[in-house]
Amino acid sequence: MELSFDRLTKHYGSKIAVDRVSATLTPGVYGLLGANGAGKTTLMRMLCAILESTSGEVFFNGEEVTGMGAAYRNVLGYLPQDFGYYPHYTAEEFLSYIATLKGIPRVIAKRRIRELLDTVGLLGAAKKKLRTFSGGMKQRVGIAQALLNDPQVLILDEPTAGLDPKERVHLRNLLADYAGDRIVVLSTHIVSDVEAIADEVLVMKDGQFILWGTVPELVRQANGKVWELTVPAAQARAWEKRFTVANFRHEGDYVVLRIISDQRPAEQAVPCRATMEDLYLYHFGEEA
Amino acid sequence: MELFRLEHKKLWRKTSVRVCVLLCFAYVVIFGGFLTYQWFEFGSSPDLVSHSFDGYSVIRSQQDQAASYGGVLTDETFQRMVADYQAADAYGDKVKMDIIDWKTMSSYLNQLYPDLKNDSDIRPVYYYVDTRNLTGFYERRQAALDTFLHSQGQTGEEGAMLMAMNDKVAEPFRYEWVRGWQHVLGNSLADLGTIMAVFVAIVLAPTFSGEWHNNTAPLILTTDGGWRRLALAKILCGLAFAVELFMLVAVGGITAQLIYLGTSGWDMPIQTMKLLAVAPMNMLQAEIYEYAFTLLGVIGFAGVVMLLSSLVKSNFLSLLFSLAAVYGPMMAANYLPASLQGVLGMLPLVGDASDIFRTNTFHIFGKYIWSPYLLIIVPVLIGLVCIPFAIIKWSRRQRT
Repeated sequence: MELSFDRLTKHYGSKIAVDRVSATLTPGVYGLLGANGAGKTTLMRMLCAILESTSGEVFFNGEEVTGMGAAYRNVLGYLPQDFGYYPHYTAEEFLSYIATLKGIPRVIAKRRIRELLDTVGLLGAAKKKLRTFSGGMKQRVGIAQALLNDPQVLILDEPTAGLDPKERVHLRNLLADYAGDRIVVLSTHIVSDVEAIADEVLVMKDGQFILWGTVPELVRQANGKVWELTVPAAQARAWEKRFTVANFRHEGDYVVLRIISDQRPAEQAVPCRATMEDLYLYHFGEEA
Repeated sequence: MELFRLEHKKLWRKTSVRVCVLLCFAYVVIFGGFLTYQWFEFGSSPDLVSHSFDGYSVIRSQQDQAASYGGVLTDETFQRMVADYQAADAYGDKVKMDIIDWKTMSSYLNQLYPDLKNDSDIRPVYYYVDTRNLTGFYERRQAALDTFLHSQGQTGEEGAMLMAMNDKVAEPFRYEWVRGWQHVLGNSLADLGTIMAVFVAIVLAPTFSGEWHNNTAPLILTTDGGWRRLALAKILCGLAFAVELFMLVAVGGITAQLIYLGTSGWDMPIQTMKLLAVAPMNMLQAEIYEYAFTLLGVIGFAGVVMLLSSLVKSNFLSLLFSLAAVYGPMMAANYLPASLQGVLGMLPLVGDASDIFRTNTFHIFGKYIWSPYLLIIVPVLIGLVCIPFAIIKWSRRQRT
């Protein structure tokens, strides 16, 4: 199974949202990382065939997806960013509604809905109206609806938005479990989510992939660019103006700064081990 | 079917829908039905200003009084009716004067016996007319109809068509209490569509535009044929709602009518209500026509509302345009010539069900067609034509 896209481009007037990106995705979890406006959502909508590209095409197992129509939608699960729902429905009714739209027979849908509500920890709230749900609960309903048809291609746009830390961990485990022989693409700007779950990470900036690789591969690229520097507290702000500072840690009258820089920022700066977050800041420091 | 069921459930779950249905029911059935019969319209009115809460017994008395004339309207029965009123007046019997259907009596006298009016007497003519002069009721009606059609320019082929309809009206007329039917056919049913339009518009305006409001397009578009089946389910659901609301109101209205008016007089010709009507219909047929007119108008209007909903992304604009689709032409009609008024009347819920009491016609392809035929058919056709456009428009919008 393979989802590929070739020089995929989307223009909104003179603005280029996605700029000639190409990739071939095989089963596994792909994390799409980038700042707001990097083009993640636009790319995902094109992968779902709900947004026409300006140029370039998306292929599933070698077949162009817009031409596949329902055959592609049958293997697709999608959680949009700001996912829309019907506030007067209960969680169970909403999932029944989506299951019907997906053409899942009622008997199968009923069982699947119970399973999924259990999986996302909402079985107890199945009969409650969505308008009474917290942001995290709604997001979990959104994830459940994406999984209804047991999709081979699962595309999740900011799935962890609104989830508390426990829910995020639960979702990460769920997706890791689910992935297996399926293609899961998730976008986020929460670096730790990608770090924890993604087999491969695609970093987007200005509509293009600027990095692509496994987490260790990417992290290696940041090695030698992360430093710890202990300075008097009064000087901390001045250092922040000169460098991208990933972290401040107070130690008495001093502050330990975690600085991202190609050059050693000071003689006394100590090199330290990089993380995905450091890499992210290295590329998006001025935007973060 | 499952999608329709769920869509239908979704619609009825909305608080706004429930409130609309409740308000519509309360306005039409409780206020316009039960309370109007018992109080506002038929309650006795000793001071001629306020009404008492005794409509049921007043209606029974008036029906009994009308039945006492033998069930047929002839010169003799009409004379007796007027004579009874004059006698009651002479005795100062206000109760008796109230239970005689003086409004109907007055209408007959003004239209058929204008020559008996004494201009020096300011009282209504039934107070003083010499009942022995009340003769030739049907000949006078025929003459009045001739004069009316001529004054309207309805001569030649058109006049012949209307007269041919009139020839089928059986004479002498069956006669029972007319005022109750006048209320049902002339007031409450005639206005039903205008009132329902508000509630249908509020409920159905978000049918498609509401999906933008809920931001559900990405979900729908990634389902198997979702938008097409959903659009169809939504259309069916909208039409079902229109029928359900109508049924609710109609059943409520008919129940109130049966309780208060009963069925007496159902076989009276509508000419007892409007002397110059030409349609050979009785009250029951007229009521069926008016209900059918409203039902088909509401269905047609539902189609128009759903089309408008598919054209805009805002619920507010969708509602605004939907209301404008009914009340705009109604207001504009006041400033237009009669022929254009007739054309506007063919828009859903803009026309008037009580055209069955009139002699209006449309001249199409050289043929004269009595207006109620077109007024009942065209609105629903307009609505049905709107439906495929609504589906196409919505699907296009979803994909852009």
